[in-house]
Amino acid sequence: MTTLGRILIIEDDPNDLELTLTALTDYNLANEVVVTRDGQQALDYLYCRGEFSTRSTGNPAVMLLDLKLPKIGGLEVLQQIKSDERLKMLPVVVLTSSHEEKDMMRSYSLGVNAYVVKPVDFHEFVNAVKELGVFWAVINEPPPGSVRKPT
Amino acid sequence: MTELAEGPTHVAVRRSLAYWNQEFQRIHPPILRYGFSVVSVGMALGVAFALQHYQFRDVELPVLTLAIAFTTWYAGTGPSVLAVLLSSAFFDYFFIEPLYSFDISSRDLPYFFIFVAWAVIVASFSAVRRRVEDSLRQVRDNLQVEVEQRRLREDEIRKLNQELGTRAAELEATNKELESFAYSVSHDLRAPLRHMAGYSELLQRQASSLLDEKSQRFIQTILDSAKRMGILIDDLLAFSRIGRAETKKTEVDLEPLVKEVVAEIGQDTKSRNIAWKIGALPVCYGDRSMLRLVVVNLVSNAVKFTRMREAAEIEIGAVERDDNEVDLFVRDNGAGFDMRYVDKLFGVFQRLHLPEQFEGTGIGLATVQRIIHRHGGQVRGEGALDQGATFYFSLPKAQQAGERTANAS
Repeated sequence: MTTLGRILIIEDDPNDLELTLTALTDYNLANEVVVTRDGQQALDYLYCRGEFSTRSTGNPAVMLLDLKLPKIGGLEVLQQIKSDERLKMLPVVVLTSSHEEKDMMRSYSLGVNAYVVKPVDFHEFVNAVKELGVFWAVINEPPPGSVRKPT
Repeated sequence: MTELAEGPTHVAVRRSLAYWNQEFQRIHPPILRYGFSVVSVGMALGVAFALQHYQFRDVELPVLTLAIAFTTWYAGTGPSVLAVLLSSAFFDYFFIEPLYSFDISSRDLPYFFIFVAWAVIVASFSAVRRRVEDSLRQVRDNLQVEVEQRRLREDEIRKLNQELGTRAAELEATNKELESFAYSVSHDLRAPLRHMAGYSELLQRQASSLLDEKSQRFIQTILDSAKRMGILIDDLLAFSRIGRAETKKTEVDLEPLVKEVVAEIGQDTKSRNIAWKIGALPVCYGDRSMLRLVVVNLVSNAVKFTRMREAAEIEIGAVERDDNEVDLFVRDNGAGFDMRYVDKLFGVFQRLHLPEQFEGTGIGLATVQRIIHRHGGQVRGEGALDQGATFYFSLPKAQQAGERTANAS
């Protein structure tokens, strides 16, 4: 029996979000997806506070993080997560438009688990999101305490 | 002495005896100088009388000669003559028998000669001293001029340095600006492009059964254009990164590098008949990954533009230019180009062929030029329409690579 890990998406752009969700839906990976729209909301979700104070506990199996976000930026969110004992094991995948070496270096030095540049081509984009979803939500064994649902 | 106040070495001199010595010799008005002569002799006379009063005998001659010496030393020739005359007269009047008369006898002549000889000796010493002083002063003046010139030069250098600093800061600011510009291009321009491509694709998928062939083609064109713009943006970003990236220069042996690139590109051209000719290549000094990019660009251009040849020939070689630089070239027998448009070859996104003939954005040769310029070299192209092209680039040679010259082949 396979299980499906929960995917936390942090994406401010509605179009990118729709395309990502479309890609995940195409491969039946969208059932356990949580969407947050900025860094603040993402941290609220992870710490079960604010609008998420009543959510069931447990970390997602993976977090897809955009870098350019309103309020709290992606790199700040990453830093916050990786410096918190309770969250540092959460796999974080940066999914961004930025090819910049600076962003890459910074992300890796903060301990990101993967860095993916969003391809311009739709097929490549869908493929990248699918691969990410399949790997992190299905194939990869997430750290103990992550939310997984049998499919 | 104000001109001496500048040099620190003169401070000690200023306070010394020599300084006052010199100051006294500056008494120029004749009245003062002759007055000095009279006063000296008068004082000597006074001292002589005083000593005589205390029963010191025969001291008047040394005291007077001393007065003559002082006068000669400090007041010059004229006053010296006066002092000699006055001393002779007073000596004759007060100290030689008969006393209190100006009678001159042959006995008095030796005294007169002593005074004159003494004056001449002191005067000659004084002259020598003055000559030495003059030359010293001249040397000092020259030194001062030199010091002054050096200070001016230093000021100028300091000013230039300051200007350079400002310029560097400005450049750095411009660079930062460019960097943030490139950053926002990479971030913000690509997102809408991805959406255009993505939604066109979705539309194509959603409505393909409803759309006629023409509409399908329109959507396909939108998709192709979005893709092409994506490639252009990526190329432009890569190009600007080459300008900004730091070069890590080492010795680079071009021969294995070229062979590696040729082997790699050869993988994709197995079906074609390409005769490769690689000459002996030197060891150069440069950034390996950047030089590799140069070779990749030129070689893949050669492969691309010989596509229509039954038997393509591509030659890579080197020509010695001088002791410090070497010219490398990539020659093909492909499509070539019209030399009229040679100026446009290395421009960003400049192309000399239609996209239907040869694909590409036109960033390759611009990249080559930028990299070679960053290495202090030059690029140039030669060719004729349908008769192939040769691209040359020059690079600084590695110092120890003298024995492995390109002409060895």
